[in-house]
Amino acid sequence: MLLPVILRECCSKHGLQVATSARSCIRTLSWRELHSIPGSSLLRREGSRPLHSFKEAFLLRRAPPRLHLQSRGAKTRKSHKQAQEEEWRQRNKTALTYIAAAGVGMIGMSYAAVPLYRLYCQATGLGGTAVAGHDTEQVANMTPIKERVIKITFNADTHASMQWNFRPQQTEIYVVPGETALAFYRAFNPTDKPVIGISTYNVVPFDAGQYFNKIQCFCFEEQRLNPKEEVDMPVFFYIDPEFDQDPRMARVDTITLSYTFFEAKEGMALPVPGYS
Amino acid sequence: MSTAMNFSSKSFRPRAPDKGSFPLDHFGECKVFKDTFMQCLRGNSFDNSKCRLQSKDYLECRMDNQLMAREPLEKLGFKDIMDEPSSEKPESKPSGQ
Repeated sequence: MLLPVILRECCSKHGLQVATSARSCIRTLSWRELHSIPGSSLLRREGSRPLHSFKEAFLLRRAPPRLHLQSRGAKTRKSHKQAQEEEWRQRNKTALTYIAAAGVGMIGMSYAAVPLYRLYCQATGLGGTAVAGHDTEQVANMTPIKERVIKITFNADTHASMQWNFRPQQTEIYVVPGETALAFYRAFNPTDKPVIGISTYNVVPFDAGQYFNKIQCFCFEEQRLNPKEEVDMPVFFYIDPEFDQDPRMARVDTITLSYTFFEAKEGMALPVPGYS
Repeated sequence: MSTAMNFSSKSFRPRAPDKGSFPLDHFGECKVFKDTFMQCLRGNSFDNSKCRLQSKDYLECRMDNQLMAREPLEKLGFKDIMDEPSSEKPESKPSGQ
């Protein structure tokens, strides 16, 4: 800002054109003349060094010698910084890509986990979902294993609010694996209103339950009993012949089949078990 | 019941029956066959193998009275006693071992 003022003064004094070197113009300028220029008080800043060189440096648009310890190239410095930023940006982008891929991978795995877990459970038999269903053609082709006699005991329960009289008609029955067997329960409705019941069953020991196959029974469907009515409820089942080969079943001689009846309310349905 | 909460233990999962549920015999149409079967069981100390003929008769009664879906008897595991349609002996002959 000061420079054009000084140049104008200088050149007007010496009758020189502005185009000629500013340096020669300024060199002839004496200190006193410089002082006369308005606004030159700015030159009188620090007093330690000869103002001549300071003035010269300032006017010639060179950086004052004691500032800017780094030597050169504002331009190279700037491009350095840019390159570094560029590198950082590149690294960030790579990292973000990896993180996004990992996130998508996790979501995909959580969707895939459902069928995979099901397969795993069926393969290992954990959680009780052993043996993914048995072959219904097996019934026609199986041969009974006469040496292995198993005692099946029967148990009947009702829910506390269920008023039926429900009991088995035989306490036990001796079957062999591979042979179909029939057993009966009896239910009586002592009330004066029709009652709808629905039942579920349980087999102990749990491991043996997977070999206990029911062909037909009366469970998981609503059964209606009129007032004062008594019915026979059959269970038609068989023990899988593979029961004999299972080493864990080697000491199992008794299997207990237990049925429990609940009263079915309007709109209530016991879920039929099974995954599929 | 089957409330074993540990992961590694097998718990019991009820399975639906293969052929579904028996309709209830409200009119007692097959009660006679059932009584015969129960008598056979009691007489043979509850040995199922000895009373298979009676159980076959009961199931046939059910099928005749629309209380059960009609199925060929082999599918119900009675292949061995089907070979003799009218057998006098109450025991069933097993089909070889």
